Amino acid sequence: MRRERTALIITLLILAGLPVAILSYQRWLRPALSPTRVIDIIAAIPEAGGFQPSAFKVEAGETVTLRFSSVDVTHGIAIGPGLGIDLGHVDPGHVKEVTLTFDRAGTYTFYCNTWCSPNHWRMRGVLEVNDPSGIAPTPQRDPVIEALNAEGINIDADHTSSGMSDMDGPPMPPLTFDSRPSAFRGSEISSRFNIPSNLNTATWRRSHTPAQGLELLTIANPAISKAAAADVIAYLWTRNASRATLASAASLYDKNCAACHGQTGDGKGPMANLTVKPPAVFSDPSHMFIMRDDVSYAKIRRGGMGTDMPNFGTVFTLEETWALVDYLRTLAVETQKNK
Amino acid sequence: MLGQRRINLLHRIPFLKNTLKSRVFQPALMLITLFVFTLAILSGLFGTPAGSRNFGIIFVWIVWWALLILLLVPFLGRTWCTICPIPAPGEWLQRRGIVNRTPGRLRTRRWRWPRRLKNMWLQNFGFLGVAIFSAVILTRPNVSAWLLLTFMMIGVVLSLLYENRIFCRYVCPVGGFIGLYSLVAPIELRVSDPQLCATHATKDCITGNERGYSCPWMVFPGNLARNNYCGMCLECLKTCPKNNVVINLRPFGSDLLVAKERQLDEAYKAFIMLGCALLYSGVLLGPWSWIKQWANMDTLPHWGLYAIGFLVVNLVVLPGLFWLTTALARHLVGQPVSLGRLFVDFAYALIPLGLAAWIAFSFGFVLVNGSYALGVLSDPFGWDWNLFGTANVPWTPLWPTLIPFLQVGALIAGLLFAIHIAYRIARQNSSGHRQAYLAMLPVSGFMTAITFVFLRLYIG
Repeated sequence: MRRERTALIITLLILAGLPVAILSYQRWLRPALSPTRVIDIIAAIPEAGGFQPSAFKVEAGETVTLRFSSVDVTHGIAIGPGLGIDLGHVDPGHVKEVTLTFDRAGTYTFYCNTWCSPNHWRMRGVLEVNDPSGIAPTPQRDPVIEALNAEGINIDADHTSSGMSDMDGPPMPPLTFDSRPSAFRGSEISSRFNIPSNLNTATWRRSHTPAQGLELLTIANPAISKAAAADVIAYLWTRNASRATLASAASLYDKNCAACHGQTGDGKGPMANLTVKPPAVFSDPSHMFIMRDDVSYAKIRRGGMGTDMPNFGTVFTLEETWALVDYLRTLAVETQKNK
Repeated sequence: MLGQRRINLLHRIPFLKNTLKSRVFQPALMLITLFVFTLAILSGLFGTPAGSRNFGIIFVWIVWWALLILLLVPFLGRTWCTICPIPAPGEWLQRRGIVNRTPGRLRTRRWRWPRRLKNMWLQNFGFLGVAIFSAVILTRPNVSAWLLLTFMMIGVVLSLLYENRIFCRYVCPVGGFIGLYSLVAPIELRVSDPQLCATHATKDCITGNERGYSCPWMVFPGNLARNNYCGMCLECLKTCPKNNVVINLRPFGSDLLVAKERQLDEAYKAFIMLGCALLYSGVLLGPWSWIKQWANMDTLPHWGLYAIGFLVVNLVVLPGLFWLTTALARHLVGQPVSLGRLFVDFAYALIPLGLAAWIAFSFGFVLVNGSYALGVLSDPFGWDWNLFGTANVPWTPLWPTLIPFLQVGALIAGLLFAIHIAYRIARQNSSGHRQAYLAMLPVSGFMTAITFVFLRLYIG
């Protein structure tokens, strides 16, 4: 009888005691013992539900540990804007985590930055940081987009056409180039020409197309050859950002844009055939010379309506967005000495 | 090779006999496995969803699987069934006790199991049913946990409705293939003198006595000729008053040559197991990511196509090709044996090949992923525990360069053994060596072709 009773007690401990102990630990003891709140987030392709949970709230000043695990394919996990958190690849069955303390209220996006499925761009989640005092964060206004709207510019103009008719009055004939404009050559020869003051002003360049700059430059220098003018303009429109900024923008581009637009900007990324409209070709100077920086900026931040281009305003900071715009400029021109 | 040589282990090792006859032995081991099983379910339900850090996934589908397919089944037959925790709660409820022999009959509703289900078909379809979801089951801890829990619940319900281990004998999808492959194992539970059983009036092994229960597997040890329906529960060893029950060491594959009990359901089990090993090798280890996504249920239509393909290959294509092969063998020899009989008989030659294929398949992921076991041992739920100081042991594939050699070795050994069995089966159905040799040729060709497909998948 004694061994029977012992066996019965052990059985009850296993079948009832163990589950109760584990549940109690998970429900009460673990949160009490943990120095930080742990939030487990499962990453699955959007067709299978995306991030689960896809939204959660934390308090400003609270330290939380976010643990991402993938259940299907390799995902890339990043959180933005402005946090600089990129956890890299999370392979199926693996976990990556980050511990964070937010010092003020705001809304952040955790997102996948590795192409994982045809609906990869939908794979995002919202992390809302609340102020314990109940003060809601002031919605951030974007003066650049507001200015474009005030100017009556259609941000959603088809980027495969010139777009100029939507932006700047009368349509312009498409630009053609005998060779790729060279910013490097432009930097070497620019001192020989009379550069109108507008072209030397960064804010003017942001709100005007290189084609408009080309027109001003040609008027100021009637003898300038077409190729030299293009080189000088290429130089002027690619000198906004430092090399380091361009390098980090290149990394952002590779992770977030190249799947559709192609790593070289040729519009032939692996997902290009799946988008509603063909992705913009950044390596084509004919296209890039009629694009305004501020319009590119607006498209990146707001997304392209009806094009499958997602919004990145919830992911990138303003600085990161401008850096990306500057990086796009470099894709259409030569930036190194042509050997 | 497959003669009548036997070594009575209980006679050679008295300690073993005393241990196995003890009523404590089996429940003690079952309690250990029940603890592990419960932990696997709990970690699946409440632990991390990351498979590689979840005890349930790693210990069930890597550690247990490795033990089962690389060690227990090939060498010890149905020994796993001796200690399997799944039927334990149901059996203990039936018996109203865990260790001792409780007086009186088993407490159940005493329903009668339908005659038409007294075969392996339910296990065959159960295994296929699980197999078509396996890509999901193997990677998602919660799905895996619900599956294990469902097995245990079915075991309990069937124990309350029917006497004995109906679940193990006719339902358990795992028990089905363990039984089939236990025909190859070099261990058997038999009686020393069948005549003694035949003349023994009380037949305690099927009625039970104060030392033990009647055979829960509903088998009469006195005429036991094969392993596949003996669950090695060892009750007969305890109840036999004549000391006539023995455990023998014997040549590998002895049961494959027992002609009188060969059945179509078992033959189909052989096809299903071989087909699943082939398909798993392609889907889970192969380079085709699209089919892996289909198996992973990326969309329902994709998974539906995958499931239909999976079932068709296992139930139609492979048996169909084998049917044509045996038809050719029959045509070559002009044998008087019916095609159906020959089809079933020759299917038993696929059993060692199928087992070898599963061993080769298992080498591919068990050695690669085995090191995860150390991590989850210390942190079974993925909750940042470090119980034994091994939580942060990095993932380290074991002998990755050796794996193809092990796989090729297992497959070649399995093929040679299968060809040998095919010849011996052919001899049973023919009058002479030449006729048997001719009959065996198409079957051997079929098995060689299958082996080449495996080799192509494993080593390119």
